[in-house]
Amino acid sequence: MTVGANVKGCYFTIKQAGAILEQLAVKTNTDEAREAFLKAQEILSEVAVDLEKQVLFLAKEEPQYK
Amino acid sequence: MADWLNILLRSIALVFMLFILTKWLGKKHLSQLSIFDYINGFVLGGIVAIITLDVNANFYHGLIAMFVWFIIPFAIEYLALKSKIVRNLIQGKSTVVIQDGKIMEDNLKKEGFSTDDLLQHLRADSVFQVADVEFAVIEPTGRLSILLKRENQPVTAKDLQLQLAPKKEPQTVIMDGKMLLEPLANLNLNPAWLETELDKLNVTIENVFLAQADSDGQLTVDLYDDKLSVPSPTEKPLLLATLKKCHADLQSFALATENEQSKQLYEKNSDKVQQAINIVDIYLN
Repeated sequence: MTVGANVKGCYFTIKQAGAILEQLAVKTNTDEAREAFLKAQEILSEVAVDLEKQVLFLAKEEPQYK
Repeated sequence: MADWLNILLRSIALVFMLFILTKWLGKKHLSQLSIFDYINGFVLGGIVAIITLDVNANFYHGLIAMFVWFIIPFAIEYLALKSKIVRNLIQGKSTVVIQDGKIMEDNLKKEGFSTDDLLQHLRADSVFQVADVEFAVIEPTGRLSILLKRENQPVTAKDLQLQLAPKKEPQTVIMDGKMLLEPLANLNLNPAWLETELDKLNVTIENVFLAQADSDGQLTVDLYDDKLSVPSPTEKPLLLATLKKCHADLQSFALATENEQSKQLYEKNSDKVQQAINIVDIYLN
């Protein structure tokens, strides 16, 4: 696996985790838990934005693996 | 009217009346009944027995007696609810028998508790050493309530300074293979959600004996067929593991790269993921 593929995998995993957190936030009945899930989800979405840029950058760096 | 018919009618009428009256008197636990409550119960039962079986007895006289035996305890109970003085008179006060770890012999004697009685009551609460007790009272019901010394009390999360996620009561959403709509609504969930969750577990609703959902919407089920094993909910532990894996991945990317800019980006984001893990950690366990 190339670095690009690894980072891409990580990027999608983060996206998925964010989605699960959002789901849990909707389902939960306690306000504290909902707040925590949403906050973590927010942080993960920031991470996802950064990683997406990195994925594009790496795709440019490793065009031969496309 | 034939005697048998008379008895039949009286019995039916009185069964219902007695049922209503006892319901009316409230939900006191049987062990909390005072002697007066006991006597009251026996007398009511006796009156009912006499006026059902004795066809010569006047039915309405019986009703009057029942009414009196019902209304006076009812009034006393009502007054006791309102006034502390009446309560002390009727139900009695509790007596302190151990204070600051010392046995109050006089109070013991006053309540008619022998030393053996005290030890027996302590043992019933699995206290075998009197020195472990800080404070104990004899309740009006005759029960002994014990406060252990601080060092002998069970450790709580507060003592350990553990932070725990608040948890609300779970709801039973399936009973005997039937969906219960009200508990589902209490959790803000709907039947479609339940069907999806059951599909995920690969079971049909008819096979489920009991299913409960906790306040985070995690479903646990018990099936009629005990040979089948059902997985316990994995959503939350899996999520935590995923987050930890992402954190580790980002750290390893940071170590592997030679591009300074990328390195910084990976490090920053791995810290962020760690931050997210710290926030949700207690809710995912």
